[in-house]
Amino acid sequence: MKIKPKVLVLKADGTNCDEELAFAFNVSGGNAEIVHVNQLRNKEKKFRDFNILALPGGFAYGDDIVSGKILAVELISFFSDELKKFVERKDTLVIGICNGFQVLILTGLLPFGNIGTINATLTNNESGLFQCRWVKIKQEKSACVFLKNAELITDVSVNHGEGKFLATPDMIQKIEDENLVVFRYVDANSKPTQNYPENPNGSINAIAGICDPTGRILGLMPHPEKFNHITNHPNWRRMSASEQITKPAGLTIFENMINYVQKA
Amino acid sequence: MIQTVRVQTIIGKDLPGETILHDILNILKNKQVASVKTARVYRLEGISEKEATVLAEKLFSEPINQTYTLNKSILKNASQIIEIAYKPGVMNPEIASITKAADNLGIKLKAADSSWEYGFYGNTNRQKAIEIAEKLKLFNPLIEHIVGKKPDTLLIKGVVGKTTIIPLQDMTDQEMLNLSHDKLFLNLEEMKIIQKYFQNIKRDPTDLELETLAQTWSEHSGHKTFKAKLIVDGTEKEPLIKRLQNEALKHNKHIVSAFVDNSGVMDFYDGYAICGKGETHNSPSAIEPYGGAMTGSGGVFRDIVGTGKGAKTIVSTDIFCLAPWDMDKGKLPKGSLPPAYILKRVVAAIKDYGNRMGIPTNNGSFHFHDDFRAKPTVLVGAYGIMPKKYAKKGQPKVGDVILSIGGRVGRDGIHGATFSSAEMTERTINVNAQAVQIGNAIEEKRMFDAILEARDKNCIRAIQDSGGGGLSSAIGEMGEHTGVSVHLENERLKYKGLSPWEIWLAESQERMILAIPKNKLQKFLEICKKYNVESSVLGKFNGSKKLQVYFGKETVCSLDMEFLHHGLPQRVLYAKRELKTKNLKLPPIRRAGKTQNAPKTERGWIEILKKVLSHGNICSKEPIVRRYDHTVQGTNAMQPYSGELLDGPNDASIVRPILEKPYGVIVSHGLNPILNNIDPYWGSIWAAAEAISNYVAVGGNYKDASLINNYIWPFPDSESLWSIDKSVDAVCDFMKTLQIPVISGKDSLSSTYKGSDGTVIKIPPVLCISAFGKIKDVTKTVSTDFKKNGSLIYLVGAMDFLAMAGSTYFDGDGRIPHVNLQQLPKTLDAIHHAIQKNALLSCHDISEGGTITSLFEMCVGGNMGAEIIINGQTKIDNFLFNETAGCFVVEVENEKIASALFKNVPYIILGRTKKEKIISTKQDKTTLFAANVDKLKQVWQKPMKEIFG
Repeated sequence: MKIKPKVLVLKADGTNCDEELAFAFNVSGGNAEIVHVNQLRNKEKKFRDFNILALPGGFAYGDDIVSGKILAVELISFFSDELKKFVERKDTLVIGICNGFQVLILTGLLPFGNIGTINATLTNNESGLFQCRWVKIKQEKSACVFLKNAELITDVSVNHGEGKFLATPDMIQKIEDENLVVFRYVDANSKPTQNYPENPNGSINAIAGICDPTGRILGLMPHPEKFNHITNHPNWRRMSASEQITKPAGLTIFENMINYVQKA
Repeated sequence: MIQTVRVQTIIGKDLPGETILHDILNILKNKQVASVKTARVYRLEGISEKEATVLAEKLFSEPINQTYTLNKSILKNASQIIEIAYKPGVMNPEIASITKAADNLGIKLKAADSSWEYGFYGNTNRQKAIEIAEKLKLFNPLIEHIVGKKPDTLLIKGVVGKTTIIPLQDMTDQEMLNLSHDKLFLNLEEMKIIQKYFQNIKRDPTDLELETLAQTWSEHSGHKTFKAKLIVDGTEKEPLIKRLQNEALKHNKHIVSAFVDNSGVMDFYDGYAICGKGETHNSPSAIEPYGGAMTGSGGVFRDIVGTGKGAKTIVSTDIFCLAPWDMDKGKLPKGSLPPAYILKRVVAAIKDYGNRMGIPTNNGSFHFHDDFRAKPTVLVGAYGIMPKKYAKKGQPKVGDVILSIGGRVGRDGIHGATFSSAEMTERTINVNAQAVQIGNAIEEKRMFDAILEARDKNCIRAIQDSGGGGLSSAIGEMGEHTGVSVHLENERLKYKGLSPWEIWLAESQERMILAIPKNKLQKFLEICKKYNVESSVLGKFNGSKKLQVYFGKETVCSLDMEFLHHGLPQRVLYAKRELKTKNLKLPPIRRAGKTQNAPKTERGWIEILKKVLSHGNICSKEPIVRRYDHTVQGTNAMQPYSGELLDGPNDASIVRPILEKPYGVIVSHGLNPILNNIDPYWGSIWAAAEAISNYVAVGGNYKDASLINNYIWPFPDSESLWSIDKSVDAVCDFMKTLQIPVISGKDSLSSTYKGSDGTVIKIPPVLCISAFGKIKDVTKTVSTDFKKNGSLIYLVGAMDFLAMAGSTYFDGDGRIPHVNLQQLPKTLDAIHHAIQKNALLSCHDISEGGTITSLFEMCVGGNMGAEIIINGQTKIDNFLFNETAGCFVVEVENEKIASALFKNVPYIILGRTKKEKIISTKQDKTTLFAANVDKLKQVWQKPMKEIFG
């Protein structure tokens, strides 16, 4: 039997998607542990003992000032060196979902892996509204080292008010040129779209998720961990009997992450 | 010196600015303002300019899309700038985060504040700008203000308030009534009993003692009406609460605990228990809907974590009864807020609190009637799960420590419990403003995280929410059997200057009181530290059987627990049927005519159908639901909306709370205040039948369900007492019929408005029944959307076709639908078994709007149409629009399957599903109408789209 990779699910005050994220890793072959940032600060837990760092969704510190900001400042202030060492290892991966994606952007880990340098932001949805709905995303041919199955379309839940990906035109160009876009919102014909609500936040180039140039840090607004059981899908009852017994599509990302670190 | 950082978003939309400009143009019809821009303001005390620059760059502004200034204005060339900030002393939840992050960056702040600036461009002056801010309610004057002179310091100073002795022993009756008015809300008889108690112990009470008695004896805490001896039309009847409890406890197969804890608990699977509670927050929501609804949610979530030794909240629900958003302004009584404002603010509150807590909000409803202008009904529900070994209410032991954890105490929310027991008047907003509580979801979230870990480490003996009545209520109740000594000077305060009685009574949110065994205290405090949860040791359970409260060396309270909890005499109340005919005053969008003649033309049919579908109670609430996070926790097994285009509404919520297991919790509800207005008995039966039908329509077995009843009634005068008595009898009969119990409930009997000009407005009485229970396998459930072209559509259940009173279609009095109680269990069984056999492709219960509305919603979900042929019915409009609860529209593959499923229950074949998106209806051979589903859908979706986007 392979050793189960250890997953650090990082929790702070207001984090609220930690349990389902830990569950998604555990059913995908991982060994997930929910760790409060205070346990890292008092050295009870250490980044170096884990293979995967996962930042869940929620409202870390109430999303005060700007979503994800307070936790990002805390991580930069106390863990810059440890995080650098963690991402420099070849057997590690990082994922940030929703609020976790916002934190990764505000630490600078995304898009370009520069801790302390902010090159993009996730701002208010174009509609001005918090959105909870299921949308379609397409997996692109990208630099992401563990998601190679391009063109894959997945139904997924989005739940956020600040998910519009924004950067200067030069930066967007750079992100596109380096194939850092991993997921885009698509319409019923699987084409990237700027139309609401298929693109729920008005993200530039329909960007739903990106990775860093090493392809080992992934951030995305949609919540694959909310699709951990077939009955999570709003229309599972409209699926055929054979579709109903397939694996819930949301788990694919987590399985791929586990497989990757097991082989690394 | 205060350093002021201002931040403006320069790339991307200025959303608040655009919204305000839109409202200035469209609501105020003011064309003078050309644009509105906004900026955040951060005031920082105790740091240098250099440090402020570091914070501006690293914390307050984003380099990509924002810019900042230090100590100078940022909204350049604005003709007017209005700054809106929290009033000094009101909790600003952002401050804790700012202080923490600054500290992380190595900068120590003495104090900080954050606020908003609104810059108005174009032709305007200060007075006009202030008017805009006031008219558009850009701020809530109870907690926020327009900043005039910039503050010199942000530090709040205060002198500790004193305890006052009230010379009660020698007071006259009139003096006692004056003392009670607007403050204690006790009647003369109660005041006299208190006077006598103090005469006997030969001293005068402290303000804190009087406040404690008023709070404990308030309707809110004491439920005097439900416990009263009741004389109904001359005959004595058992107290309402006794009747409910006696009947409920006969059906105890699944009960773990009922009526004794903060929520009702029933058995689940694999050593787990589930619990549920419904709670109203009507009075605070009437004067400050955002804060009121928010703290309503916060409070009911605390009821769940305060059940047993702590439960995890897994579902939240919200049910609102409001005046119609487009009600004529002239109808609004003095001192009441506009209904459209209340509607928007309560929705924003549920969104902001529930989403932040990470609790899925996945069930709810709206009910509109003019008379809810008297007071809105804001009912929030919450459901939880816990290991069964922690499910029983804990009892503190002598020697246990009293610990207060969570938020700090401020002046917010003083007198909430006593105030909520009072009728609404035009003075309410001014006099009782401090009863408004401010919510901070993150404070509550981290506290819950800590409590659940402490529970699993066996650190908790007993737990109680510190909500209505503050420490007084929580500690007073927990210490009833042992007695307590409490040292108020140990409580953490938001600012100095609170009197002991204010600390004792304040309903500052996000606090829990715990009884911790002495040897577990250290462990418990370590867990609090891990989650950044503050705590204070307030005292201990001491065996004195007294409520002893100290402030330093001063004794501020010494009351016998016996007198506090049992000194209140049982009330004797008289209920009498009013014979005068009711004036229904239904909302204007109901059908104009009161004749029972069916439309004669296709156009007539489609017109009336559109009217019904666009009615506030029936129209699509999807734009609201999309603002509530309903998929968080990853447990959802039935979304509020499903179907081809994800826009068909479902009947109930289903979650799979243990992610590893297929077990489901089903939550549903039912209410119909308009029916209660006409006939409280059958209206209440309707509410219960509707709740359980929603539960069964998705696949649940009603025998595995428990009920929660919430009574929101006008002030209990003899007429309202008569109707509540009927309602309670109905609930008891319903329990008897289905042999399932009510295991939790709450009453709120103050929804009457009294104006100084003699205006009296009573709300239509609300009985909300919620049903929750268990299902072994979430895959054995069904949604409402039609699945297949050409399948058969059946109407199942006993319809009371001739009873149309109170229906959306027929605006009038008369006989309301009677649910056939003999037939109901059989119908529910048939539906449940059909779903368990996977024989129903879709199922939808019938409620407001009748059969045709259910059918329409199923077509929306399926993105298809239906061909309906009704044979042998004379009153065809009654047939289509009748609202008898306990009946279902179902989709079945073929007739053979259906006749086997429904052999013991009444059913009618309605027709077939079809691909074309048309609902065509024939009576025998005559075509009545063919309505385009998409066009009907537009009308059905329009009202809430217009309000919520």
